[in-house]
Amino acid sequence: MASVGLLRTLGNKYSAEILDATDEPQSAQDLSEELDIPIATCYRRIDELTDHGLLELHDSILSDDRRRIKVYRRNVESVTVEFDESMSIDVEERSEVTNKLDEAWRTLSEG
Amino acid sequence: MIELTKTGIDGLDSILNGGIVKNSTTLVSGNPGAGKSILGLQYIYNGVDMFDEKGIYLSFEENAQDLREAAESIGLDKWPEYVENGDILVYDKKELLRENDFSSSLDLLLDDFEDSEYERLVLDSLAMFNLFFDDEKERRTYLLKFADILKQNGLTTLMTNEQGGVMPKTDIGLENYLTDGNIYLLQTPTESGVNRYVWVAKMRKQNIETDIFPMEISWGGITVHENASDFSMMNDSESPIK
Repeated sequence: MASVGLLRTLGNKYSAEILDATDEPQSAQDLSEELDIPIATCYRRIDELTDHGLLELHDSILSDDRRRIKVYRRNVESVTVEFDESMSIDVEERSEVTNKLDEAWRTLSEG
Repeated sequence: MIELTKTGIDGLDSILNGGIVKNSTTLVSGNPGAGKSILGLQYIYNGVDMFDEKGIYLSFEENAQDLREAAESIGLDKWPEYVENGDILVYDKKELLRENDFSSSLDLLLDDFEDSEYERLVLDSLAMFNLFFDDEKERRTYLLKFADILKQNGLTTLMTNEQGGVMPKTDIGLENYLTDGNIYLLQTPTESGVNRYVWVAKMRKQNIETDIFPMEISWGGITVHENASDFSMMNDSESPIK
């Protein structure tokens, strides 16, 4: 079970939008522009979400002007909160099959 | 010079102009019973038996015993022996779908792919593999990544696909475009049984015979007849594709 801290992070302004937009890997810059988030806030949210395992650093890609750009992808499919007996917060992670194939494929392109 | 991997199937290598391009991924499509799995079994078996190339057979459709029986039923007698000594590595549906989850098997598979001993791979079938992905976009992305992984590990791959029609306009799935080669197996019922045909529709980097050729499945496996005119079914009026 995940912590209440996760809910707090999720509740911060732009957090849900960032997770929604990171089905495919996105850079902080992309997210900032696409979702109209101030860039400093965007970096802060990315750090918080990454700390809670909701978002992950997917890759460092090379930009057109040959700089390394970090791209992030969401790590979860859903977050469920239940108050039925004692409160429970469940995080459903993304499919491991896709994660493993991504990982193997990334290793190839680096090799 | 493009390196080729021979299927060792009578007549098929010659209509492929020598064989399948090494390290490529070829889709083998056809209706149930068209001979897709048999082609796969023979490709892996011949690799060991005739060319000293080890192979991996992944089946989401059948268990190891079904596969052995299917192999033996067409005269691939040494199948159990090759499996026993590791020349053929079989992952059957029981193993691949253990815990109702493909991801734990995927770890083992990825390790085996890196093992440079293996040169051939059959995935039976792509339809089941596709079930692990949520939507068309994800399927497309991961099929490409999977094919890349196979290629980089030096595996020449056949993937089977249940795909009935051969009328290009109506029934061409995305996977046909994403793979390097497309082989269709066709069958038409006749009074005395079925007539079978093979059509190599596409093979990147290869000059192929794109006609439709009659084939037979009998003891010893598949035989493709290059001389189509021997077969009355191949008259224009009765050709299975127009």
